[in-house]
Amino acid sequence: MVDDTSQTINLSAPVLEKLEAGSRPFSLLIQKLTGIVGKTGILYNADELLVYECDGYIVDKSAPDIVVFPTTTEQVSATVKICNEFNVPFLARGAGTSLSGGCLPIGGGVMIVLTRMKQILELNLRDRYAIVEPGMVNLHLTNALKGTGYHYAPDPSSQGSCTIGGNIATNSGGPHTLKYGVTTNHVLGLEAVLPDGTIIELGGPTAEVPGYDLHGVYVGNEGTFGICTKAIVRLTRDPEAHRTMLAVFQTIGDATRAISEIIAEGIIPSALEMMDHGIIQAVEEAFHFGFPLDAGAVLLIEVDGLEVAMDAEVSKILELCNKNNVREIQRADTPEERMLIWKSRKQAFGAIGRLSPSYCTQDGVVPRTRLPEILEFIEQTSAKYGLRIVNVFHAGDGNVHPILLFDERDQGQIQLVLEASEEILEKCLELGGSVTGEHGIGVEKINFMSRIFNETDLATMEKVRNIFNPRQICSRDKVLPPHGSGNATKVTQTHPARRAPH
Amino acid sequence: MSPLSSGSQEEFVPASQTELSRFMTENAAVDHRQLFPVGGRTSLAVCCPASQTGIQLCTSQLNRVVDYPIRDLTITVEAGMRIDELIKIVSAEGQRLPLDVPQSNRATIGGVIATNINGPKRFSYGTIRDYVIGISAIDGMGNLFKSGGRVVKNVAGYDLGKMLVGSLGTLAVISQVSLNLRPKPQSMSMVWFQFDSCQTIDQALEAVVTSGTRPIAVEYCNAKAASQIAAEARLELPADHHTLCVCYEGPENEVRWQTDKIASEWNQFSPLHVQTVENEEATRLYDAFTEYQTSSDDPVTIKAILLPSQMMKFIETATQLNIAVQAHAADGIVFGHLPDSASSLDDVQQIFNQLKTTIDPKTGYLNIYQCESDWSDSLPLFCSPPAGWDLMKQFKNALDPEHLLNSQRFNELVEI
Ligand SMILES: Cc1cc2nc3c(=O)[nH]c(=O)nc-3n(C[C@H](O)[C@H](O)[C@H](O)COP(=O)(O)OP(=O)(O)OC[C@H]3O[C@@H](n4cnc5c(N)ncnc54)[C@H](O)[C@@H]3O)c2cc1C
Repeated sequence: MVDDTSQTINLSAPVLEKLEAGSRPFSLLIQKLTGIVGKTGILYNADELLVYECDGYIVDKSAPDIVVFPTTTEQVSATVKICNEFNVPFLARGAGTSLSGGCLPIGGGVMIVLTRMKQILELNLRDRYAIVEPGMVNLHLTNALKGTGYHYAPDPSSQGSCTIGGNIATNSGGPHTLKYGVTTNHVLGLEAVLPDGTIIELGGPTAEVPGYDLHGVYVGNEGTFGICTKAIVRLTRDPEAHRTMLAVFQTIGDATRAISEIIAEGIIPSALEMMDHGIIQAVEEAFHFGFPLDAGAVLLIEVDGLEVAMDAEVSKILELCNKNNVREIQRADTPEERMLIWKSRKQAFGAIGRLSPSYCTQDGVVPRTRLPEILEFIEQTSAKYGLRIVNVFHAGDGNVHPILLFDERDQGQIQLVLEASEEILEKCLELGGSVTGEHGIGVEKINFMSRIFNETDLATMEKVRNIFNPRQICSRDKVLPPHGSGNATKVTQTHPARRAPH
Repeated sequence: MSPLSSGSQEEFVPASQTELSRFMTENAAVDHRQLFPVGGRTSLAVCCPASQTGIQLCTSQLNRVVDYPIRDLTITVEAGMRIDELIKIVSAEGQRLPLDVPQSNRATIGGVIATNINGPKRFSYGTIRDYVIGISAIDGMGNLFKSGGRVVKNVAGYDLGKMLVGSLGTLAVISQVSLNLRPKPQSMSMVWFQFDSCQTIDQALEAVVTSGTRPIAVEYCNAKAASQIAAEARLELPADHHTLCVCYEGPENEVRWQTDKIASEWNQFSPLHVQTVENEEATRLYDAFTEYQTSSDDPVTIKAILLPSQMMKFIETATQLNIAVQAHAADGIVFGHLPDSASSLDDVQQIFNQLKTTIDPKTGYLNIYQCESDWSDSLPLFCSPPAGWDLMKQFKNALDPEHLLNSQRFNELVEI
């Protein structure tokens, strides 16, 4: 059970700014933590720590002083209590695929890596839930469910490596969120170690629990509400059938209108992914799928459901695409053809690698009907800065991912990329959207918070944060801007990410 | 029910959110009166027992549409908008909020969020938590705050909307909300099955897990409830036994295929009766299921939240106790109207104790859903503290430090 040997914790003591390697507290801390996780569960040599100095967001780097790999909730709790005793900051890390710097240990401290807690604790089809440890890789859960007729619905494009704990912290989405929702719609409950080491449970395996929906508040906390040590997630019935189509349009406007009309018809596609002409050219150069090079947009449309309903939905979609000047449509009716179509979407990023030595993927949201405006703005921004920007994104949700291509070796270009990103996100806000649909605020977008929310909003969020994390000892300086930062608007990064695809 | 008759309550009807915020700021600074947010007054028996004295904050004039970008399938409205009004507005565009709300002519969207009202469709569409994409509310000190936004996908900042779902007016007064909408389906049908025992019902429910069909809702009712529901729907349906009623929506051919399919799948459980209900009759029957949880004149309605696999054991006992039982069966949500014979608080408590023996306290909750006003002070709403209760108290203290928002009730929420 929980280690209760820790002495009284001085909650008013400031969290340490720096832990000196080799100092006495450092050695003592190592000794105590080794006592908890064992010699094979801890790293503290500088060269071993390098791997942990950043996540998928490589702009800012800061290595932790110590990394631990607990295998039980009790070890996590004991580790957290020791950190409190030593006033050393700590934070959780899953697979480290965050694209907003969520895993950046600001000011160093202890990193708690959950990848060794990866068991499935219970699969219950009758009651439609699974209980898993937080380090479980997203795809492994769905793989474990193969053949049962059920799956875990949230499927971020990083699902082959990202963890359920990381998904809960960031409220991850993915290509199928239009129909199936994001992570928060599929989390029933969880166990967490609070930043003072207390173990709590929120929600549960039942369809709801009385009282405030605190597991709902917990999802999307970006690691600032302690460490999630167990997740109870909803399982979703597999669709019986799929139909996938690739529709080539002359303009983004036509493609967007087609989307609106399909949905207005009562059809909610399970995926609606768009590629603009820039990315079409890149994909063509690389893979020769046969897309016309002068096409304005290619739309990947997927519907799923009962076999009996598929043909009617497909013909309706074809009709609406035709009405909106579609140039051509490829259909996939077999699993093999479907794989081929998805390949063009998934390989889009590989193709970008051929276009440019470095690229930066942004994450903004606009109301779906404003897609033509934001894409036109992105094109203007591209011309203004002399940067090539291509787009491949979740069109059904209005979630754009402009990819800014540049050469990392040219400092001038780096600044341009940062400024262009900033302008694009600002435009998303102006159009009534958001600066992040799924990657999170992390450290990357913290300056935007005071532009989206007013002081009262932020103060209320801070009150909630302080219930979980009053000392800000857990994942400090994330999500909420520090006091007194005012309306800091200038681009502060020094280096854009050569970010991974999504 | 009109629970507000005996306490002394004044009313404040703000014309705008800022006016409400100003009023609450002043109340926190000067008057320190107890405040009771009220919407359509459909659930006050639960949230706001009669004996309390203070001021009702009535949202009836906060009923405007703030923004309805139709093609984006989102809408932003003030919290006092009545559900029927909301339905009318979005329905004209072929859209809906896929949520079942009893007494929707009175209930408001703010009240639906605060009480987390839902119904049969929750099995396939989830609950209000899944549709709130942005929220504004005013805390006990008068601070008007918001979270989320007006787009369907957004992870900027903490999701404060979730904490207000089911908060029963104890944390903040919800003043505005942005919702995600869905297209209206083309048609709907229901299939009414009668089975001979709880055991068979349980088997049929287990078979839903791998059914070739995709039901929108799976409703259970025992004989007592079934006859009332059929009568309410003005339908001749056999109601002497246990009923399972399965609902399908979508294009007509898809719905018909599924109603046939479920009948053949469940044939192996030898139903005593199978009847497909279509068109307006299906709508009437569906509405009767939606209304039933709040429709009773009986003194106490209970709600149990159980794992579906453990539900029939509870229902069997409840039926023996002459309780009229309805359940959103595939979700394990059970409502029971206690019989008239439960005429004293003691009787109610005894029934409770018997029911509790069938519940695993780790994975089940037995709550009061509605009760006669005289008893509501004595009966805690949540009979056992839910997971995270200590944190919930901290939320209460953080958002309403002076305990001005429906606070006596908050303290009575759980049995100590
Ligand atoms: C190729 C690629 C594609 C991607 N595609 C998508 C996509 O489609 N949709 C999408 O939403 N995101 C996407 N992402 C972003 C990223 O994968 C998600 O944010 C993912 O949820 C992070 O999971 P992780 O295990 O890697 O978490 P990490 O990166 O390790 O951590 C992310 C954050 O969660 C916190 N955290 C991690 N584990 C825990 C825990 N157990 N308890 C508390 N806090 C914890 C960390 O402190 C950090 O703040 C993509 C990233 C890449 C690299």
